[in-house]
Amino acid sequence: MTNKKTGALNRLALLGVVVAVAGTAVAVWGQSRDQSRSRAGEWPTYAADLAGTRYRPLDQINASNFNQLEVAWRFKTDSLGNRPEYKLEGTPLMVNGVLYATAGTRRAVIALDPASGELLWVHAEREGARGAAAPRQFSGRGLAYWTDGKQERILYVTPGYRLIALDAKTGVRIPSFGKNGEVDLKLDIDQTILPDITTGEIGLQSAPVVTKNTIIIGAAFREGFTPKSMRNNKGYVRGFDVRTGKRLWTFHTIPKKGEFGHDTWLNGSEEFTGNTGVWTQVTVDEELGLVYLPVETPTNDYYGGHRPGANLFAESLVCVDLNTGQRKWHFQFVHHPLWDMDLSSAPILADIKVGGRAIQAVALPSKQGFLYVLDRVTGKPVWPIEERLVEKGEVPGEWYSPTQPIPTKPPAYSRNGVLVEDLVDFTPAIREQALKIISRYKIGPVFTPPVVSKAGGPLATLTLGTAAGGTNWPGGSYDPETHIVYVFACNACLSPVGLVPPPKELSDMNYVLGTAGQEVRMRTGPGENAGADAARSPATRARPGAAGAAGGAAAGGGGGGGFTLGVQGLPLIKPPYGTITAIHLDTGEIAWQVPHGETPDLVRNHPALKGLKIPRTGQSGYNIGTLVTKSLVIAGEGQVTTTPDRPRGAMLRAYHKATGKEAGAVYLPAQQSGSPMTYMLNGKQYIVVAVSGGAYSGEYIAFTLPAPEETGGR
Amino acid sequence: MKPRTAALAMLAAMGVSLFPSQEAQQERSVWDGVYTEDQAERGQPLYRKECGVCHGDLLTGGEMAPPLAGGDFLANWNGLTVGDLVERIRKTMPPNKPGKLSRTAHADITAFLLKANEFPAGETELSGRTELLQMIRIGMTKPDRNK
Repeated sequence: MTNKKTGALNRLALLGVVVAVAGTAVAVWGQSRDQSRSRAGEWPTYAADLAGTRYRPLDQINASNFNQLEVAWRFKTDSLGNRPEYKLEGTPLMVNGVLYATAGTRRAVIALDPASGELLWVHAEREGARGAAAPRQFSGRGLAYWTDGKQERILYVTPGYRLIALDAKTGVRIPSFGKNGEVDLKLDIDQTILPDITTGEIGLQSAPVVTKNTIIIGAAFREGFTPKSMRNNKGYVRGFDVRTGKRLWTFHTIPKKGEFGHDTWLNGSEEFTGNTGVWTQVTVDEELGLVYLPVETPTNDYYGGHRPGANLFAESLVCVDLNTGQRKWHFQFVHHPLWDMDLSSAPILADIKVGGRAIQAVALPSKQGFLYVLDRVTGKPVWPIEERLVEKGEVPGEWYSPTQPIPTKPPAYSRNGVLVEDLVDFTPAIREQALKIISRYKIGPVFTPPVVSKAGGPLATLTLGTAAGGTNWPGGSYDPETHIVYVFACNACLSPVGLVPPPKELSDMNYVLGTAGQEVRMRTGPGENAGADAARSPATRARPGAAGAAGGAAAGGGGGGGFTLGVQGLPLIKPPYGTITAIHLDTGEIAWQVPHGETPDLVRNHPALKGLKIPRTGQSGYNIGTLVTKSLVIAGEGQVTTTPDRPRGAMLRAYHKATGKEAGAVYLPAQQSGSPMTYMLNGKQYIVVAVSGGAYSGEYIAFTLPAPEETGGR
Repeated sequence: MKPRTAALAMLAAMGVSLFPSQEAQQERSVWDGVYTEDQAERGQPLYRKECGVCHGDLLTGGEMAPPLAGGDFLANWNGLTVGDLVERIRKTMPPNKPGKLSRTAHADITAFLLKANEFPAGETELSGRTELLQMIRIGMTKPDRNK
């Protein structure tokens, strides 16, 4: 064994060179593995199963021993790209005795020994200018596994939007799939990707879904705050044959002429409007043969004047046939989207019992804090979702939907508007300052429309439950035994939404996101033009000159330095800043809700709050995913804190899933940045979580219990 | 400037000598007036041009970029040093071309971030040298130096 391992290490050293030169992978580990398969102990797809539950009924790690968890192994991802990554969002898979994940700024695929973290193989693709121009770079959220009982394949999408099939045993491309193991996703897409294949904007950071013999692939784009144009590529969804890579079907998220929903785009706007992709996880009911597609916002998150109409299937849940991609039903949650309320979560399939009636349901957490619950066969709401009148805005040229759908049940589980009673009120003085700050903004409940930014006010509509959410890409989790959804939500992730006319050389849109009196610039995000290929190219984005008056302190004020939206550094919104909520799907009621996360250092140590007793506030953030096991709900914290009883770091927390009471917590060196997963291997349960952020670069950390004799025989 | 900040800045100015005097070898904190108003003013337009596109003009962060002011930001850096922060910026920012900015520009932008986070200005500019910045501790709360 020892010799064999040494050999593997030597070959690993060589591997680095091979990968760098050829961009292909080499097998380094051929040990026979335990072939006995226990699906219950595996984590074979991104969300544990195709129903999007993030649930495994494992119970070796439980409330009695969670605090004793120890680090089993760590895997640092720094070298999988030309610089470290600080935004590791992946959830690994564990199938057939191997752990697979994406990692690093080059989005490499790694295979690890799930017991030790030892690297078995690595695969990376050098994409050059195409990778550099990709809208969604970095390591992505994960990959997919497929087997027919003999062959095993790993499938993933590169930053440059190519679907790659690898031999799961070796990491080498499958030559018979597509063209030598790859399918160019910018081709065969029922549209011409503009301006060209290399730089044409379209990509994907989520994990592909494989069901039976079909791979389902969505699409993502750059941030939609400040598009260069009202015209963009469209985010169609496609099914591919897992053996050959052949395209099987395409669903047009923006209907073409003659297709259902085409008439919801007035003035021919469906022709040029783009985006409207499915960038989060797709869910599948294999028995029903149905696929659930959560669709995002159309071009320009906050201004829809160029796309009058309800804009189907933007911000809709669409159910399509697995074999044909034909629409079965859809439900649009936001008509004529203006708030960046992308459907951000994987739909959760839940077989529930409401009023004695069994319902095959689909539940969708959202940025806006509503859990939408529909019959997944018919698309009909389980509890009424009412069309209610909403405020009409005054942005010139905008088209407004007079009503929006509001669920009557379950109640909103996070704040989705900004009201005076939501403002920070630790002390009267702090509240005064908060009131002063918001006097320059428009505020209101969910669906309060954006405003044109004016220097004299309002500078913007202050929103919660929009861009960040609420619940963003990690989505929720679900316990099929108790019929309870568990979901994290940010309760204080403020987004000011003000619109300004951009200079013509920047964008042809009438309005983009901006602040009056400030230069309009194209907003981007990390993950855009930021991966390992990016730095190899010259700066690709021209930033033409200023429009309007430059500089000048923005809003904020109060006791602040005049730059920020806080009060003496404290959040403008009062706690809880982030919560985990348990929602019972048989009743539509919230079973419990707890603040998730230690009170931030600034609040705990703030001089203005001395002597005040402030209960745990939870933490804001939008990237917390939960894991459900037989008895626990598990999630790491999204922020780093320093407390009297431990060094700076974050905690991986476990809650009793029946009550929400904390069952234990273990130390993480940095915040959770990818959702946790769990598996059993050789009689031991492991929990793996991705951490990164701030000064801490990406790392997968595996926890397990100490050897039995050290746990006192329990 | 608030009286408290002004007083702190004055104290800082008196208490902290210019590099390379011996006192500078002692660890300082961001409460000691480690940048100047002029420097933060130079950093502001740089921030808006190079950082604000993702992190927001109000430093509130974007859909995919973390806030650079307030508790969320300080949580990431509390207990670390200004050097750690600047190294992170130098190695990875701006994301499409890390290292494109000079060390002086990094220092100026960092000065602006310190100001936006309400740490007091002083008489000495923030250096562009990582090893010196590593001697400046980021602390959310003012160290008790009531002497």
